Amino acid sequence: MAYPFQLGLQDATSPIMEELLHFHDHTLMIVFLISSLVLYIISLMLTTKLTHTSTMDAQEVETVWTILPAIILILIALPSLRILYMMDEINNPSLTVKTMGHQWYWSYEYTDYEDLNFDSYMIPTQELKPGELRLLEVDNRVVLPMEMTIRMLISSEDVLHSWAVPSLGLKTDAIPGRLNQTTLMATRPGLYYGQCSEICGSNHSFMPIVLEMVPLSYFETWSALMV
Amino acid sequence: MAGTGPGARFYRQIKRHPALIPMIGFIGLGMGSAALYLLRLALLSPDVWVLASREQPLTVPLPLCSWDRKNNPEPWNRLSPNDQYKFLAVSTDYKKLKKDRPDF
Repeated sequence: MAYPFQLGLQDATSPIMEELLHFHDHTLMIVFLISSLVLYIISLMLTTKLTHTSTMDAQEVETVWTILPAIILILIALPSLRILYMMDEINNPSLTVKTMGHQWYWSYEYTDYEDLNFDSYMIPTQELKPGELRLLEVDNRVVLPMEMTIRMLISSEDVLHSWAVPSLGLKTDAIPGRLNQTTLMATRPGLYYGQCSEICGSNHSFMPIVLEMVPLSYFETWSALMV
Repeated sequence: MAGTGPGARFYRQIKRHPALIPMIGFIGLGMGSAALYLLRLALLSPDVWVLASREQPLTVPLPLCSWDRKNNPEPWNRLSPNDQYKFLAVSTDYKKLKKDRPDF
């Protein structure tokens, strides 16, 4: 989950998110280098007494500042495309969970082995227990087995929503009349928070998502209890 | 006159400004890659139909993309589990995939 004054991305909980974190570090470093170089050059240009008023021809420097940015862009594009294709790979999920967006809550259906359906509403601020996170806690968390590939099928019953969990690198739009698929794989147990990411009305900021990743035996016990 | 065709003017421009050569190179690379990828989508994408009427002799092996709805309907049904659908396969070994769905 996010913490106050956070500047970077949340810690990765899935292999794809780890790749995204490294890519973000790589690209941000390039951005910082270029920005500081440009800032430095601007400061030099603004504080010099030298002038040159006739037309200049500068073939060499023009060649350099064409080739160098092109190389930098290729160095950004290649890892980016690699991660993009990696996200779409075939991975044989062991479980399928459906989530439907409503105004203003999420509902979850686990129908592989039994008929398990429940709604997940945000806990209002007045009813939070000490230690719980404001605007992020829900009454029924999405309990899932960790270290297993899970297929999430996402759609909506009314307007556009978006099912997002930043620490797993997931964000998939929930579109009425359409079924979108994403795969989820958590490498460690814990609670992972996300919020609806597509404007959907007055309570758009108040329909969070909480994933509770647990070992498989705990998941089996929980799903037997919940049916 | 001799030196006023577009090729001659282009050549003189390049000689005066050789810094344009890498620029033309990279833009050509970008536009060429885009055009080639569009061609790949048009000819090898198994889930599109484009035209619906041209006759095609049945002795020609049917391509994966369908430009001919009559003789090559539903090209996506002819994909085997070992066909690489995506342009780039990072860690999926397509040779090892098995078919676990029933046939039609």
